[in-house]
Amino acid sequence: MSNPEFKRNLWLSFSKHRLIGMPALLALTFLAVALADHENQVADSLYIASISLFIFVVWLWGARNANATIVDELRDKTWDQQRMSALDPWTMTWGKLFGSTSFNWYGGLMCLIVIASSGFSAGKPDVIAILLTLCAAGVLVHAALIALNLHTSQFDSRIIQRGGMGWLVIIFVFMFMYIPTLAFKDLKSVSWWGMEIDNALFWLDSALLFAACATFAAWRVVSNALQVRTRPWAWPAFACILALYFAGFLPATGRMQPLSMIGLFVSVTLTYVALFTEPSTLLRWRKLRLLQARNDRRGWLEHLPLWPTTLALSFLFAFLFVLTSLNMHTEYSRADLIQPPQAITIALMLLRDACILLFFAFAPDSKRAVGATMLYLVVLNLLLPFLAGVAGLDWLRYFFLPVDEAYNPWSGILVMAIHSAIAIALVNWRLRNAGES
Amino acid sequence: MIEISGLTFDYPGHRALNDVTLTVAGGSVTALVGPNGAGKTTLMRCIAGLETPLTGHITVGGTDVIEQPRDVHRIMGYLSDFFGLYQDLTVAQCLEYAAAAQGLPDDEMHDAIRLTAERLDLSDRLHQTSGSLSRGLRQRVAIGQAIIHHPKVLLLDEPASGLDPEARASLAALFRQLQADGMTLLVSSHILAELDEYSTHMLALRDGRILENRELKPAHSPDTHRRLHLDLAHPDARLPVWLGAYAQVTLKAVTETRAEFDFHGDLSAQAALLKAMIHEGFSVSSLAPHKENLQQSYLRSVAAHLESAQ
Repeated sequence: MSNPEFKRNLWLSFSKHRLIGMPALLALTFLAVALADHENQVADSLYIASISLFIFVVWLWGARNANATIVDELRDKTWDQQRMSALDPWTMTWGKLFGSTSFNWYGGLMCLIVIASSGFSAGKPDVIAILLTLCAAGVLVHAALIALNLHTSQFDSRIIQRGGMGWLVIIFVFMFMYIPTLAFKDLKSVSWWGMEIDNALFWLDSALLFAACATFAAWRVVSNALQVRTRPWAWPAFACILALYFAGFLPATGRMQPLSMIGLFVSVTLTYVALFTEPSTLLRWRKLRLLQARNDRRGWLEHLPLWPTTLALSFLFAFLFVLTSLNMHTEYSRADLIQPPQAITIALMLLRDACILLFFAFAPDSKRAVGATMLYLVVLNLLLPFLAGVAGLDWLRYFFLPVDEAYNPWSGILVMAIHSAIAIALVNWRLRNAGES
Repeated sequence: MIEISGLTFDYPGHRALNDVTLTVAGGSVTALVGPNGAGKTTLMRCIAGLETPLTGHITVGGTDVIEQPRDVHRIMGYLSDFFGLYQDLTVAQCLEYAAAAQGLPDDEMHDAIRLTAERLDLSDRLHQTSGSLSRGLRQRVAIGQAIIHHPKVLLLDEPASGLDPEARASLAALFRQLQADGMTLLVSSHILAELDEYSTHMLALRDGRILENRELKPAHSPDTHRRLHLDLAHPDARLPVWLGAYAQVTLKAVTETRAEFDFHGDLSAQAALLKAMIHEGFSVSSLAPHKENLQQSYLRSVAAHLESAQ
């Protein structure tokens, strides 16, 4: 199938010089590795060198190119032309995903051949699984960067001017390289949802799952950029997938309780991520109000930001956690990560924080809404409780941060409900001043 | 071709378009004029489906832009004020990419590139990279990308900015040619004299509202009502009284040597007036339609708006 976006990227990525240069350089590197071996373990040395080179060429260098595919379009003002094209979102997505990194995959393919041949010669285990995991992780990094850059560009163009979100790759590479290789090095298998899965196979499945999620995310964000409206179900669905994935590592007994607790933490995290990376402007609110007045449910859902979806999910998981905990035991243990009522307190805290952001975002001068929100959250959650604690005013400290075992955990809900009510009142006041309610 | 109703668009703290309702006739060249910040670019971006307005409806060729922007893009070309080109691609590759991205079939691609390059006088530049071209040539490549799929509607935001007079003249010729081919053009520019050369309609915006949207009449309109300008070779004190008494004349401004007046009659009646004046002994050196250029027309709209606002 002809994909103009892919073809354009090929034009830009390949030249005769580069076409010859990449294999020549890789071949010389492998030759140097082979010649440097004095312990008669050439296959072993080549295996490690080729994996390292693949990580460098595909993960890191490829990430740089995937990052640039969006950053350059926006910076060089060619993005409008792309948005005006008749390409469908999927064609645009895969054209960018594999086109911008085509030169890296060209080099990566040669590395894969050396990984396979040296791995089999040296008798390494799980060579195919490792090959596929490396490839899936590469797609994951590239797709995630495309999605992140496009998503954040609608919020703050300065991120693009500073070079996009490429720095996240460094964190990812360390996570993906060191968690499996160090934390689970000696494990033959991983226990997940009661199943014993071969270690290499598990990491392959994980990489494939998250590569699929990242590619789907890139497609969704490209769709929105091309004015193909979508409804906000994918973000809470991703929260559920993450919750199910992480809950699989927990002990098999009473799974609903830990699942709901992990679901709560994941939903809270994703809500904060969306809250601080999406444009939450008065204009958007105005648009939602208009669509609501028109009873345009589809339009309302299409314009709804992502964060309310995972905020609602947080409350759902919090109530589920309380319900499942009530059935399990009557006394709370100090060993519990959180006590059941605190789940609702956390969800209410999230609601309060969202309202604080809206309060600043709806201000006439809302340029620094995120910064102001973060500052006030630090003051509210850290500084004031600390000062109250130092002053010996425990009740005041509890009022600012209602997570103290000395108090009945159910009272924390009341305290945070008061916080939330004040925050909601502030947002209403702001809206009234803006003539919106 | 373009129907807009109740279009309102807000930026934070600023309403860019305020309840805009207008129609752009098919096959016209509409000059979109107005001061900086009037909402011209926002209006174009809304029509192009690149921005979603707060309220209002836009249809292009009967297709709803807000509901089906992708369908509209197939019949539309858009040149942004701050357009960009892929610097490392050749002109031929830029045009091929634009054609393919607009869904032009492979078998039509070669002809489309050749014809577009000929039309924009780029045939001898096809193998040059766009980054090595001058501003004027880059502008032509960008226009080529916008028209290669033969759109029905072409939106051009400040297409002549930064161009030398020669390039502007060739651009004007191109726009006339595109109009003759049946394309509908909406062109915004600060240089009203340049728009004057090819515009058939004027759409004036100010503070997000429409000041005026009307057809610009050609100089030799066959209409029975037009403004004429008269010059005498020698001053004649009889002129104001004689002309004021003429049945088909409504004086607007008159001195002993010149007059500007509305004439209510066809071209034969105008010829009769001239004959009568010569018969009366007036030394008529010129009697011609008073052609109001775009600049004058726009300034008159602004003046009327300011007057009505007071």
